[in-house]
Amino acid sequence: MSSTFERLEDVLLDDLFPDVDLDLRRGRHIGQDDGPVYDFLLDAQEHLEHLYRRFGAELVQRTDGYFFLLPTNDRLGRRLLSAGEMLVGQTMALLYLDPSTLQHNRTITRELLLQRLSSLVGTEVLIRTLNPRKRKYDERVAAKTVRKEVDKAIRRLVDLGFTQPVEDDRLQLRPALMRFAETVRGADGSTDALERLIASGEIEDGERHDEHEDDEEVEA
Amino acid sequence: MTSTSTPEAPTLIASLSRDRVSLELNTYDLCCLAGLYLRADKQALVCFAEEELVDLFEQICEVVEPGAENPRKRATHAIQRLRDQRMLHRVDGAGLTRAGDFGISRLAAAVVEFYLTDEQLTRESLALLTRTLASQLVDIRKAAEQAETDDAWHDQVASPLQVTVGDLVAGIERRQRGLDAAQEEVQSRITELLQEDWFGAIARSEDLLDQTTSTLNELNQVLMSDVHQLTSLLQEIQSLADTAEQEGSQDATQRVQENLDRITSWGRARQATWSEFYQNVHRYLRDVVRLDPDRALSQRLRDQITGWSQQPFYLTTTAAPSIRRLRPVEHRVERPPVTRPSGPRESEPEDVDAEDRRRILEALVLEALAAGENKLSAVTAHVLAQLPAERAFGTTGRIAAIVADLTQPRAAREPAWVRVAGQLEIEQWTLEHDREGRG
Repeated sequence: MSSTFERLEDVLLDDLFPDVDLDLRRGRHIGQDDGPVYDFLLDAQEHLEHLYRRFGAELVQRTDGYFFLLPTNDRLGRRLLSAGEMLVGQTMALLYLDPSTLQHNRTITRELLLQRLSSLVGTEVLIRTLNPRKRKYDERVAAKTVRKEVDKAIRRLVDLGFTQPVEDDRLQLRPALMRFAETVRGADGSTDALERLIASGEIEDGERHDEHEDDEEVEA
Repeated sequence: MTSTSTPEAPTLIASLSRDRVSLELNTYDLCCLAGLYLRADKQALVCFAEEELVDLFEQICEVVEPGAENPRKRATHAIQRLRDQRMLHRVDGAGLTRAGDFGISRLAAAVVEFYLTDEQLTRESLALLTRTLASQLVDIRKAAEQAETDDAWHDQVASPLQVTVGDLVAGIERRQRGLDAAQEEVQSRITELLQEDWFGAIARSEDLLDQTTSTLNELNQVLMSDVHQLTSLLQEIQSLADTAEQEGSQDATQRVQENLDRITSWGRARQATWSEFYQNVHRYLRDVVRLDPDRALSQRLRDQITGWSQQPFYLTTTAAPSIRRLRPVEHRVERPPVTRPSGPRESEPEDVDAEDRRRILEALVLEALAAGENKLSAVTAHVLAQLPAERAFGTTGRIAAIVADLTQPRAAREPAWVRVAGQLEIEQWTLEHDREGRG
């Protein structure tokens, strides 16, 4: 496909570039729903791939219709999603695949999300995962904490472009959610896919994540 | 539309709440009402004898709930329920003396008409309605061009606009509701199809989408051409009414125009919604259903979520930190720590000599005057020199008061300020007195 941009300089001088660049560096996933921004990326892809490679990141495009920046080293800064974000993101991905959400133009309520999450993971596991340091808990307080953590995760997933709040407190599910299903998507088994994705740096397993989680908390 | 005034919403709500108004109709009740309505319509009946009513309800019971026990008893109960809810009313007024005659109420007729009308909507053609409306407006425009009297304007322009055109516009609005319902039905039908038959549902889902799209094309035609034509006809009628100063016709034209605007805006909104839905479904069929014909992906993802806490993994994203803005360098300011006095706050009382401060001051002032001082500043400086420094400020005023008692002070119109002790300055007075200090 021929690009309308002849040189990298033309891309950098485009009005859309600063916002696109900042969004990508902050970890945002840019999808077809973003309209002109997505079209710009599609057009400037070849030039930007080279540019970001020099910063230690890959500009990845997925067939589901979205772009994101994958860090290959720490030059641009990297972050791992938290446990809450992972659980909420995976549940959203499942709802994205569910035909019942089609009826509402791929939007869901927070209540439905919580219900589905709770039924899939189980209340006990959900509370333990989202309150890892609490050995004893009061049911009411724990439920409140879970709701708070889920809200926090949703806010973060909104920032990253996985979902978008729309009217009536509903959430629009975006194609980038399919990243959460990458491990079970291919023809190879989920273990092979997991290893492949770990090798490419797209995901990290639990042990490595603990270190980062601690780092984050220190920073906070 | 009736001419009676509509009650205010709070009044109506309060009265409905006070009277505990409620409606509870089950399927059987609704079927009975529909049966009554249709029979009355077909046979031009205004009421039914009690026995007729029970027979009809029994027949309906056999259709709705075949094999139900004691249909007569069920019919009797249904009649009572409908009577209690003012769906059926007795019209003969004979009381207990004989079996009554029953008619269906306006409320019941409205309920049945809702279902009947809703059914008809899908069969009506929006294009036909708008064409009829356009031909009516052409006739009205012609009448407006020829109308010369107020009666002619009223009978041939305002009234047809209110009644005939009003009915046609209402017909279009009904049709819109029908389209809304049809669109909603298609959306839920596609969901059902995909849930039931997944990959096999692709062709049928696409057919449904195409059908609704053709309905939307009909809507488009109305939006693009018919409404434009109707609006220009209305503008011509409005212009004629303006020239003839016919307020009734102006108002009627305005109302029809408002309805048309509403229809247009409804159409645009629905088109946008449908377009989004259409794209979403096609994307879903392409990206999800076709790529996962066995629907295995959802199941595998479900399993992954269930077991995630045993084998967690985390997605990586870039997280470029924000650019740091360094603050200007500031010297560290040492602030004394906040402390409170230690030890007892109350000191022990001690014996002191009685002291008459006024007398002491007076003696000191007299001493200064005796020494020949004739300026207030000199007297004050003399006295303050013999007192502790911390008392200077408080004592200065008292010295001036004593001096004023003992001498005759004079001050310039704008007296000079003279420093007497440390930073303390006072107004200068000139004092007239004898050697003993008497003024």
